[in-house]
Amino acid sequence: MGAFLYGVSLQWKLDIRSKTLLITCYIVPLLFFVIMGGIFTSVMPEARYTLIQSMTVFGVTMGALIGLPPSLVEIYSSDIKKVYKANGVPLILGLALTNISSYIHLFLMSIILYIAAPLAFNAEIPKNPGMYFISLAVFIAVSLSIASIIGLAVKDQAKTSMFSIIVFLPSTMLSGIMFPIELLPKTFETIGKLFPATWGYKLLAENAFKFESLLPLLLIFILATVMCSILLRRIDK
Amino acid sequence: MNEAIKISNLSKSYGTHIVLKGLDFNIQQGEIFALLGVNGAGKTTSLECIEGLRKYDSGNITINGIMGIQLQSASLPKYIKALEAVKLFAKWNKTSLDRATLDALGIYELSKKPYYQLSTGQKRRLHLALALTRNPDILFLDEPTAGLDVEGQISLHEQIRQLKAIGKTIILASHDMAEVENLCDRIAILSGGKIAFIGTVGQLGDTIGKHYNITIQTENRTENYESENIGNSLLSLLMQYKEKGETITDIKIDRGSLEQHFIKIAKGE
Repeated sequence: MGAFLYGVSLQWKLDIRSKTLLITCYIVPLLFFVIMGGIFTSVMPEARYTLIQSMTVFGVTMGALIGLPPSLVEIYSSDIKKVYKANGVPLILGLALTNISSYIHLFLMSIILYIAAPLAFNAEIPKNPGMYFISLAVFIAVSLSIASIIGLAVKDQAKTSMFSIIVFLPSTMLSGIMFPIELLPKTFETIGKLFPATWGYKLLAENAFKFESLLPLLLIFILATVMCSILLRRIDK
Repeated sequence: MNEAIKISNLSKSYGTHIVLKGLDFNIQQGEIFALLGVNGAGKTTSLECIEGLRKYDSGNITINGIMGIQLQSASLPKYIKALEAVKLFAKWNKTSLDRATLDALGIYELSKKPYYQLSTGQKRRLHLALALTRNPDILFLDEPTAGLDVEGQISLHEQIRQLKAIGKTIILASHDMAEVENLCDRIAILSGGKIAFIGTVGQLGDTIGKHYNITIQTENRTENYESENIGNSLLSLLMQYKEKGETITDIKIDRGSLEQHFIKIAKGE
């Protein structure tokens, strides 16, 4: 356990040193929050009721999909994995440590949004904070599981960015955080339901742990976990 | 002396390309053993099969002891620092590296630099330290001095000797004959996927005694000849030159270097 905890704290430090995760987990989401929060609440004053949820979904989706895969590609598509394997460090460690570190960063960023949105834009705090943070915990885990697939499946950094953007854009555009999902054409609405951001936003905004919103997230998480274990086994060969 | 590693009939191919054709050899505990060969001879494939990093097609490998591995092409996360990496690997293997070993490898002096800022030599020292974190009985070093300057090579050789002195078995892959002469108890030369020579450096040297290089210079040209019977060959060559009416201006005879001989064996000549 000591080795694992040391690994988590070390990964945390590496993420801070690398700056990439800082940019994708903090700077860009918070900048987006400052600009879009102002625009949303000016154009549609009722946006303040879901501002925390929408900005959090954007930040978590971005931090997970754009921030995590490059760290995984660095480990699993290079000689780092051979060094790990050769010297008795299990291959899954890289995946576990980067996920845990990203999870903590994304949770912290979400807390910052939770505190800053009411102060800056008079955003309404979720009525049931306990439920909100449990939903958030689930949503971050599911988003990171999708990001892990990209990081394990793609072999080089340039392609990683491309795949991350391909998943990130529809995730945010079709999730309902920009405009109500009901206004989208049926096809786009259906496509949007394939991404965790749509269900995450629904779960966070509902203020209740509704099974019909939770179930798709759990299914996506299980599928992604299976995919990741298959990919990890393939890398290990 | 006990066997640290026993390899029998080891074969490996990549698609239709056969890299290893039934290798058989043993490595004794406490010896420095080198696997030699020209590039592409199968040194790294052999080592990776023995290390368990690569699957082989057939054969048996028996390992008696814990392995530590320094890979030829190795990397670490860009921003990790030397001591952090050593600590992570040591914690994971439930061991610790003593201060003296870390000092000898110069890990403390690297402690503030992230991995991507380390020189080739510094990275090699760090990867050797990581290989030692398992407190191995058997240490694999794949081209340990490739890319190092002379000072770095001498320092690493000294560290390898010290590791042998404390009873470690060391297997190194190399194509540097001088390094091998300097360090190793026994060598195996790989050629065409097979062991073309196995024995001590002295035994390899003994075989050179049968080979002579003869250089004959005339007013117009210089010719090189090889011979295993210097008396007969020289007499015959002198006669040939005399018959052609060419005047010999210089003759040189040497027994060839160990390195030349290694290249011949490695290339299957």
